[in-house]
Amino acid sequence: MSGRRQSARANAILRTAALSAVVVLGLSACVETPSLAGSAGSGYSSVGPVTEIAAAERGDPIAFSGTFDTGISGSSEDWLGSVVVVNFWYAGCAPCRAEAPDLEALNIKYQPDGVQFVGVNVRDQAGTAQSFADAFGITYPSFLDADGGEIQLAFAGEIAPDAVPTTLVLDRQGRIAARIVGRLDKSVLNTLIGDAVAEQ
Amino acid sequence: MGRVEDEAGEASGRPDDHFDRGAPSTVVSPPLSVIGWAGWAWRQLTSMRTALLLLLLLALAAVPGSLFPQRSSDPNGVVQYFKSNPSGAKTIDALQLFTVYTSVWFSAIYLLLFISLIGCVIPRTRHHWSALRQSPPRTPRNMARLPAYERRTFTFAENQVEPMPAIRAAERVLRAQRYRTRLYENDNAADGADTVSISAERGYLRETGNLVFHVALIGILLTVAIGGGFTYTGQRVVVEGQTFVNTRSAYDSFTPGRFFNDSQLEPYSLTLNAFSVTYVEDNPSTLGFITDYTASVSTQEQNVPQGVRSQVRVNEPLTIDSTEVYLLGNGYAPEIVVKNPAGDVVFTDTIPFLPQDANLTSLGVIKVPDGLADQVGMIGFFYPTKAASASGAFASIYPDLQNPVLTLNVYTGDLGLSDGDPKSVYALDTSKMTQIAGRGTTIPAIEVRPGESALLPNGLGSVEFVDTKRFASFDISHDPTKGFMLFFAISVVAGLAAAFFVPRRRVWVRASGGPHNLAVEYGGLSRGDDPALEAVIGTFVSHHANALEQLSSPLKRKVSRHHEPQE
Repeated sequence: MSGRRQSARANAILRTAALSAVVVLGLSACVETPSLAGSAGSGYSSVGPVTEIAAAERGDPIAFSGTFDTGISGSSEDWLGSVVVVNFWYAGCAPCRAEAPDLEALNIKYQPDGVQFVGVNVRDQAGTAQSFADAFGITYPSFLDADGGEIQLAFAGEIAPDAVPTTLVLDRQGRIAARIVGRLDKSVLNTLIGDAVAEQ
Repeated sequence: MGRVEDEAGEASGRPDDHFDRGAPSTVVSPPLSVIGWAGWAWRQLTSMRTALLLLLLLALAAVPGSLFPQRSSDPNGVVQYFKSNPSGAKTIDALQLFTVYTSVWFSAIYLLLFISLIGCVIPRTRHHWSALRQSPPRTPRNMARLPAYERRTFTFAENQVEPMPAIRAAERVLRAQRYRTRLYENDNAADGADTVSISAERGYLRETGNLVFHVALIGILLTVAIGGGFTYTGQRVVVEGQTFVNTRSAYDSFTPGRFFNDSQLEPYSLTLNAFSVTYVEDNPSTLGFITDYTASVSTQEQNVPQGVRSQVRVNEPLTIDSTEVYLLGNGYAPEIVVKNPAGDVVFTDTIPFLPQDANLTSLGVIKVPDGLADQVGMIGFFYPTKAASASGAFASIYPDLQNPVLTLNVYTGDLGLSDGDPKSVYALDTSKMTQIAGRGTTIPAIEVRPGESALLPNGLGSVEFVDTKRFASFDISHDPTKGFMLFFAISVVAGLAAAFFVPRRRVWVRASGGPHNLAVEYGGLSRGDDPALEAVIGTFVSHHANALEQLSSPLKRKVSRHHEPQE
């Protein structure tokens, strides 16, 4: 009868297996290991990663329009043919505050080259955004995008603003030429803008 | 018993229960070479016992993951643990208990389990495959030794039924019961008489189910290990009238899988048009209970001209592109305007206040970084329906807006935003700030109702509580493994059910003819416990007897039946 006894044992083992299967099913959610939450979840680092895209590999031109914090409306069509620097920010974002003077300095520097700086405020309303501009002496305009999200949607996709702040350099055709995720380094942005201006 | 076991077991090439292959005798025999030991280790690892042990071990090993804060899901908890218990935390960290699911020992268990399961399934599948192609085994000589046995002698007065037609009749009955059959003639050489027998077997599904169960377990492990890497889940608080865009920067918190990259996020936006809560208002005993939450949203995909309006409810997620949007929580978001002493607006925002109790007493932080003489931070309490206790402390006594009041403790100084390090919008770091209004100072906290404004102390300006909006928090998740998980889970259950409930039985019938009678022996054997075996044989015998009766019809059957009791 050894065969039967072994089968009985196999059955008992199988029953244990059933229980264990339930345990494993219950656990399955724990087993996956999201490990990046700490590093990237906060969204910014002291100096962010830089992406440069060669002219031949750039995507389609990005068209966007909206209302500035001053109440005037603006559109990417107004700046066709110019290099445009787009900065995603909000007033309570510490790295945005830290990089604001650098952005304004480069804005002044590249004005003779016709480079257009534009902010996209992703969280604030007009009053807060304007106070920020006043406090840091920002002279370029900023879209308010917290309510509508249209500009963020226009830029969503492959080379998206993956953190706040994110700074994009658009070439003269309105295509993304470079991206800095996180707090920018002034000399890096300077080089990126210089390269875009030099393109014909 | 040896003969039956031989014929039913090894001689016919049936799959043995795998775990007892490699019998102890081969293990004990000295001396084992390195290869011998490797073989032994492999057999141990791939034994079913080990697989189950590992499965249980995996479940046990996951337990610390819920006892200790995990770096992956609760990094702040880990930091806290280090602060409150520095020496213990070091030991715990050395044991990788803060990263249980990626720890060496946890990985070792599931990798071994994985190898064990595969090592177990492959040979079993091979065995089963050959068993499926083999005919049922030869009829045992001494059928009386089978666990279920019955012998009958039929005497027919007129039309004699020969052994062959009798066996054919048995075959038809067995086939109808989905047995696989094979006929053996003159197989009983011992008594020299002409005999015909049929050997039948059913229940191959039992082993198939067993294998499906194991393969599905492997499938679940693979889905979790690989598929889990492609998932992501994130949360975002959206105030009425505002929009969430599915980019990494828009999430308040985000948990990507191992193989996630940002370009996986599909471009769409979701606007919270309105958030409504339905309360019980007509039943005093459940007054204020919530019956429904509804988030009315508009979604807009990139490069699609028209947006879509829809609703998100609890347990009724919205599917957009390949993500699912769940309604996670909600609360009040007071709309605040701050003006400088000249009366110019320097700050406007609608700030989500986090609910602290069932009546939605809510806590929020207002940071005014620019535009005033000093940076101003305010910690606010919002009471949807304010009531004061005897001690004068405020509390909310009803979750809806019956008597909304906002109180603000005011701080000035440095908000800590200038050094470039990210700060939580829900917390006010008062380490470099001075409190100028509220409990603990000479100036009482600011208390405002919707539409009211109040002066900030020290001539800083004024603050206005414009209106109360609601916010909803959404959980956006993308899980491509759901379909696979469901499939494997169903397979596990189905496989187990088959392995448990499908009996594997063999039935033999042997007939030998005399001049005036027909002797038929019936035997049954089961793999595993099978209390129904004798009943099954009994029923089969009566079916067969009926069939024989029809064969010899019109018949005057004289039956001499003598049951031979089972030995």
